[in-house]
Amino acid sequence: MLLTLLIARPSLAEEPRRAAQKDQKAETPDRFSVSAQSETYVQLYRQALVPGQNGQVVPTQLAAPIHEYLFANARDVDAPWQKDSIGLEFAAWGRLWPTVSSIERPFDGDVQTANVRLEAGPVWTRVGRQQIAGGAARFARFDGVMVGARHLGFFLEGYGGFTVLPRWNDQPGYHRLGSAEDTLLVYQPPPATRGNYWLTGARLGYQTPKISGSLSFHNEQAHGGVDRRNLGLDLGATPVNEASLGASAMLELDSMRFASARLFIDTTPHPLIDIGAEVLHTEPALLLSRQSVLSVFSTDGFEEVGGTLSAKLQRWLRLDTNGYIEAYRGTGPGARGEAAARFSLGSAYPTLVRIGYTRVIAPKNGYQAVRLSLGRKLSHRLSSTLEAYGYIYDELVAGYKTSSMYAGTASYQVIDPLELMLTASVAQSPFAALDAQTMLRATYRFDLAAKPRGF
Amino acid sequence: MNARLPAFVLWLALTLAAFAACRSESAPQRFPHQVHLAGIACGVPGKPACLSCVSCHDVARHDSGQRLPQVAVCERCHRDTHQVRAVLAVEPVRPSGEITIDHDKHLAMPEIRGQCVPCHAGVVDAKRPPLPPMSQCFTCHEHSEQWDRGQCTPCHQPEALRRTMPTTFLKHDAGFLRHHGNVMAERQQAQLCQSCHTQAQCQSCHDVTQDLKVETRRPEKLESGQVHRGDFMVRHAIEARSEPARCLSCHTVQGCDSCHVARGVSANVANPSNPHPPEWVGTNTNSSNFHGTVARRDIVSCAGCHEAGPATNCIRCHKVGGYGGNPHPRGWKSARGIDAEMCRYCHE
Repeated sequence: MLLTLLIARPSLAEEPRRAAQKDQKAETPDRFSVSAQSETYVQLYRQALVPGQNGQVVPTQLAAPIHEYLFANARDVDAPWQKDSIGLEFAAWGRLWPTVSSIERPFDGDVQTANVRLEAGPVWTRVGRQQIAGGAARFARFDGVMVGARHLGFFLEGYGGFTVLPRWNDQPGYHRLGSAEDTLLVYQPPPATRGNYWLTGARLGYQTPKISGSLSFHNEQAHGGVDRRNLGLDLGATPVNEASLGASAMLELDSMRFASARLFIDTTPHPLIDIGAEVLHTEPALLLSRQSVLSVFSTDGFEEVGGTLSAKLQRWLRLDTNGYIEAYRGTGPGARGEAAARFSLGSAYPTLVRIGYTRVIAPKNGYQAVRLSLGRKLSHRLSSTLEAYGYIYDELVAGYKTSSMYAGTASYQVIDPLELMLTASVAQSPFAALDAQTMLRATYRFDLAAKPRGF
Repeated sequence: MNARLPAFVLWLALTLAAFAACRSESAPQRFPHQVHLAGIACGVPGKPACLSCVSCHDVARHDSGQRLPQVAVCERCHRDTHQVRAVLAVEPVRPSGEITIDHDKHLAMPEIRGQCVPCHAGVVDAKRPPLPPMSQCFTCHEHSEQWDRGQCTPCHQPEALRRTMPTTFLKHDAGFLRHHGNVMAERQQAQLCQSCHTQAQCQSCHDVTQDLKVETRRPEKLESGQVHRGDFMVRHAIEARSEPARCLSCHTVQGCDSCHVARGVSANVANPSNPHPPEWVGTNTNSSNFHGTVARRDIVSCAGCHEAGPATNCIRCHKVGGYGGNPHPRGWKSARGIDAEMCRYCHE
């Protein structure tokens, strides 16, 4: 696919759309853009949980895993029937594990997205491996088709296909507890097959620059039965430039209860200040698969109220704070909050310094955390980051109350499209006397874009 | 802990290094436009001709949207070439990349009457941005058709959009990360968001099947709100209890158990280590440690280890005829028939 895109040439528009005529010139050439990226990760060293602080002894292994991530994308490619109407996207990763391992496969990988998007007038379609996000679907990946249409601000979308299954469905070394007979089970479920995992859904909405909203339906099957069947409502409004508000709710149709509902408002009372407030209700059991026997064990929910405040006090200083209070049923309240100061200094080679404090109070345990981050562009080609984290836990975790972590990166732009980055981290936690890791990342980025016309 | 002293020393060294690194840098100076436009005696005998914007900026240039003057223009008055070059080297920050705009056409409009300042107010007002924000464009242009299509080109270049954050319009403010799913849902799927973002970018966080998590792949992104930064290995149990179900935005419970099994802390391994406190299981149902209370509140955490379909060990006791009693809490209901596959684990 990438080769096809690379040999493509910008073509003159034979008949630009009316919209383009209005704001551009009729002879506008094809403005397609192509971008591609390759990332290679080589793990150089890792020592983790050896020996664990509780005396766990894990045998060391020689391993040299190499990960490769590939990405290619083309936008706004002209089609014979319409300008800017074809888009393609491909993303995949692979891993080579050259040494013997009882858990890891020698080769592993997955295609993350691989789809083509076509547009014809008010109708568009996307075919291939893709995702649906937000609304009743929350987030799902599938191999299939999505079709949409818009008219006078209304839009209608529908999708269907086979669910992309997690790789660990048959992960080596993964064993269920005992056999089905051990559960005194009478009913024996049929073996899972790929055809038993599929999804379908639709969304009807209305959108203008000031208001937008949609009603969505998502139905997902697993093991041949209902996995999720939800109805979603999402609303948004920007009554004035300084404020926007939104609401969302997801109704679980099997039990006819709200799995989650959220109301939020974001305001900018001053160009340098952002304030947000939010109310959230969640019933966790309703977010489990309907095929989970544990999903029938609870109807408890919890509420959360809180907000964020961000203030740019100086050109070089910004304060970010947030705080939320949770009300659980049957146990005491919880809370979480963070305050951070961000310093951005310098111009040609800017330096970023961020100091943050976090407090989390949750049932059974909580923690305080401090994080110091430093990012510095050392030269035109060289940049680096350093980070330090410190944690103090309210209750002992595996007999210990603190943990700390230090991490750093150094990036060097070898040539314009090629960047090398070396990362390293050292940590001490209740689960590891010493956790040390280093990794090398090589990123090659390729962009081809039709240049804009000069005016 | 004896590691505290070296940790503190490292922290101190980091802080000092940070400030040492920043010491020599200062905020960029804006070009003194006001001095050039209104602070120089001009237009009278013995003085130079008054300057206007076009005296230095060639708005008729068609090879680029950027029209910074050439050195030769400055050298008509300034003799210090070195200083001139230094000033010109500091280009204004373009947060959205270079904008494709027909200056000739705009300046010829009757509303603008050849005046640059109404749009470029930052030239004379230091409190305003040096380049007009997008909201300035929207005072005249509605671009409703492009909006409907989620099309940012040709005003913006795709390459520039990919590396910038909106600062006014569609601003990704402090709370944006928490409700970005709602923002996606209320608009046409994959239209406006995908003007800048690709599905692969969504999946760099949301695709939990990938082997390297986003924090490992992008450690240099200090401000990207990555959930698992720092010592998440210890924190994750606390975070899961603090916000039950938030994990399910990306993870399935099989994902939890896959990791737990690999580390021997799942019910689904031989001889599992028991993480539960005393009186977790037993006859003392009034104990604060009793599993029933916790299970009612946060069943998702239970599922992280105990979800095993028909082999789930919870239903050994909590099944029809079992001594664990009816697991369905008050208010529970389902539209499914009793012959649904999952129900038949207990009801047959």
